[in-house]
Amino acid sequence: MSATLRSLGPLWMTLALGLLAAGVVTLLLAGPVMHLLAQPMDPESYDVGALTLMYSTLPRLVIALLCGAALGASGAILQQALRNPLASPTTLGIDAGARLALALATLFVPALFGIGRDMVSLLGSVITTLGVFALVRHRGFSALSLVLAGLVVSLYCGALSSILILAKDHYLASLLIWGSGSLSQQSWQPSLALAWRLSLVAIPAALLLRPLSLLDLGDESVRSLGLSPARLRMFAVGIAVVLSALVTSAVGVIGFIGLVAPVLARLTGARRFGHRLLLSTAIGSLLLLLTDATLQTLAGATSEFIPTGAVTAVLGSPLILLLLPRLHAALRPPTPMAIRALTAIPLRRSLRVVIPLLAVLLVAAMAVGRDPTGAWQLLPLEQWHEIMTWRMPRVVAALASGALLGIAGVVLQRLTGNEMASPEVLGVSAGSILAVALSLFVFAGIGPISENLAAVLGGACVLAAIVWLGRGAAFAPERVLLAGIALNALIDALVGVLSATGDPRALVLLAWMAGSMSGTTTTASATIAAVAMVFIPVSLLSARWLAILSLGGSQAQALGLRLARARLLLLLLGAVLTGAATLVVGPLTFVGLMAPHIGLALGIRLPLPSLLCAALSGATIMALADWLARTVAFPLQLPTGLVAAMVGAPFLMFLLSRRSTSL
Amino acid sequence: MNQVCIKLVNPDLRRRRLLAGLALGSLLSRFARSAEELRVACLDWALTETMLALGSRPIAIVAASDWNRFVVEPPLPPGVADLGLQQDINLELLATLKPDLILTSPFITGLDSVLQRIAPTLQFSIFQKSAQPLAQPRMLARDLGKRLGKAVQATRYLESAEQQLDAYRTQVAALRPLPVLLVSFIDGRHVRVYGGEGLFQNVFDRIGITNAWTGDSNYWGFTTVGIERLATDRNLQLIALEPVPPDALPTLRYSPLWSRLPFVKAGQVTTLPPVLMFGALPSALRFARLVVPRLKGQPA
Repeated sequence: MSATLRSLGPLWMTLALGLLAAGVVTLLLAGPVMHLLAQPMDPESYDVGALTLMYSTLPRLVIALLCGAALGASGAILQQALRNPLASPTTLGIDAGARLALALATLFVPALFGIGRDMVSLLGSVITTLGVFALVRHRGFSALSLVLAGLVVSLYCGALSSILILAKDHYLASLLIWGSGSLSQQSWQPSLALAWRLSLVAIPAALLLRPLSLLDLGDESVRSLGLSPARLRMFAVGIAVVLSALVTSAVGVIGFIGLVAPVLARLTGARRFGHRLLLSTAIGSLLLLLTDATLQTLAGATSEFIPTGAVTAVLGSPLILLLLPRLHAALRPPTPMAIRALTAIPLRRSLRVVIPLLAVLLVAAMAVGRDPTGAWQLLPLEQWHEIMTWRMPRVVAALASGALLGIAGVVLQRLTGNEMASPEVLGVSAGSILAVALSLFVFAGIGPISENLAAVLGGACVLAAIVWLGRGAAFAPERVLLAGIALNALIDALVGVLSATGDPRALVLLAWMAGSMSGTTTTASATIAAVAMVFIPVSLLSARWLAILSLGGSQAQALGLRLARARLLLLLLGAVLTGAATLVVGPLTFVGLMAPHIGLALGIRLPLPSLLCAALSGATIMALADWLARTVAFPLQLPTGLVAAMVGAPFLMFLLSRRSTSL
Repeated sequence: MNQVCIKLVNPDLRRRRLLAGLALGSLLSRFARSAEELRVACLDWALTETMLALGSRPIAIVAASDWNRFVVEPPLPPGVADLGLQQDINLELLATLKPDLILTSPFITGLDSVLQRIAPTLQFSIFQKSAQPLAQPRMLARDLGKRLGKAVQATRYLESAEQQLDAYRTQVAALRPLPVLLVSFIDGRHVRVYGGEGLFQNVFDRIGITNAWTGDSNYWGFTTVGIERLATDRNLQLIALEPVPPDALPTLRYSPLWSRLPFVKAGQVTTLPPVLMFGALPSALRFARLVVPRLKGQPA
């Protein structure tokens, strides 16, 4: 593909795209325009065809061009400033932040929209961008880490949004439509407002053109001209965030245009940043125009409401997969995780800290609760038996799945050498979500058994895909992670489309995704406990491989490790652990990301103690989350998976920020 | 045929079902006499409102705290326990309350086996297409009345409902109202339009109101569209269900496509207090009562 693109050259590429878009637009407009020419508009009567053309179809085409241009430019600037071919408003979590901010404002301060939807979405974007940067600043802004952190932040924002939707389902439709970007227009006002706002941002963006081009020569040359590369980057990222926030505030989240456009621009062989920026802006606007015009032309064929932003995400996310082979240079394997103190004490030390903590928590989780009136109580002995039939399976399942996820996290983080890898980035849980969604929406009826079956099948399919995609590169971890990210994004978009229709079944899906543990049966909890009993010892056997793999691929091979086989088996292990836990606590497996970091914070470096500590701390976090889910909003019971993510994310940020000083 | 079926069923399961049935039967016949004592937990709002209409009081329902925002009437009597979100029911609390019977809907099928450990469950389908308008809600009231020992009240309630609906029908026929476009504003650019086979359409059919929406609707009786799809030169009236997002109508003022619409120009846009879309007969009656006074007659 890239060879064809390069031979086309920038000009021809844009021209071809333009012609294609023009063709579809002609198809869309031919009818109404002919009608208008045959019967000029009468200002007195209401001419549906003419007015729809004037105030809906045409402004919609214009806003598509504007949004596409803004996103294309935003992506190009981000990729240049961060020197990262995967940076874009979608992959960095900027979109998700804006969406969450809009959701919060819709629910709690709707009056804000009177003064400034822009400000709300901008604020959300800025905060999430800062969050992502805070997560990766110790990793030198490496391409993969940035995207992983973006994914984590997106997932967190998504979790928060869905708890809001679950609790206040009346506004479901509005939040979901904003989340998947509909371009529907009824007047020129939004396009005019967006046009002048964008033109204001265009001035500083143009001023940045020359200094940013200098980044191609390296930070040194920027410094030699008396500029600070750090400040330059910050300024550039700021402008890119504003560009994409303006789009989000105008029409909602339009996924992946900001990634696709600059990548295509680069592939056509545009060498200078100025060219790339121009080209990316043009390609972005033409791509969005093409997508939206096609969607409008086809709109008659389907009765369901399909937002444009969801379509661009569905079409755009597989691009990461296509990019995999080309990203080799950019994805220099990350430096293996710093393993400094190779001392053996931590095992005992960590056990001494975690085990008593776990025991106390367990007792508390079982015994402390709320009575029917909502008052806090220590469970009276005579009620013990009755309440335990409900509480015990939940607590056991929470403990077991937490332990499994903790171990999965350590295995994946060690395997990939990336501390931002968490079980969900494998995409196994995303596959489960999609399968459950399909079984809900396509095969109407669903019970707990078919739901679990669907989840297992979906996860297995994704796993097969990962293995197939990774086989050529000896299962190089960064490839697997990127494939997982692409799958996650794709599935997120598809679920968005399913939900935006306003179908009540979307709420069932949301509850499943949020990790509700309400219906956990004794059988389910015994099953997951058995899985934990079998797989935790099995995982401990992998400690040796993990230790060797930490030295890097070539070193490991030199030590006689069969790299491809070891990686494949570890991947499978991670996927099985994640899949089993997903069935119980839903796909929000945030604990898997966090648990390994607790071990690191305690000073544990060796694989075996790390695995043990992660299992214990994962179990502790899940049990704590489940206890909070049951008691905090009583009689409202919150989904455990969501609570774990909500508790975990700030804690993780804290751990990561502390590390910078201690290491 | 019957025998074959029975042979296929696990004998233990069959016995258990039989026992449950017997237990339930004896419970019901016992409580037919003293129905007030039957402790019923209700996991669906449509069932809850029907129960309340029949003069039966549940001990616990889901999302009680949101009742006044979405269902409004019949008012929820004080002391009904809140079981939390429908998607994450507080089972511990439900078990502690020791209900005699749990009413469920197909939306929570997944929990059935778990719920049966607390008390026998009865599932009612709320939403089903039928040839006659409101046939399903009527059947629900009748069945629920029978099961709760409120058969007499159910018959009386159904009669009164029919009378009310007949009265509305006569009023509507006399008024000859303009076709109605019934929507919920999602934001300043999108609406949900009701039609198809939903509760509101059923009421329209029953009392003789013409729905102005001729486009498709999904299985649940609504569809989401951009507001430009409402453009029409027909004379009709638009009724919007509350809550209307505060920025929706101010935004639309800038749209010639909207402000020049004949029905907007003529001021034929009104709002309606919230009515439960997935409700039963009480919601249907509430909807009819609220909608009829807002109707605008055809110009002579």
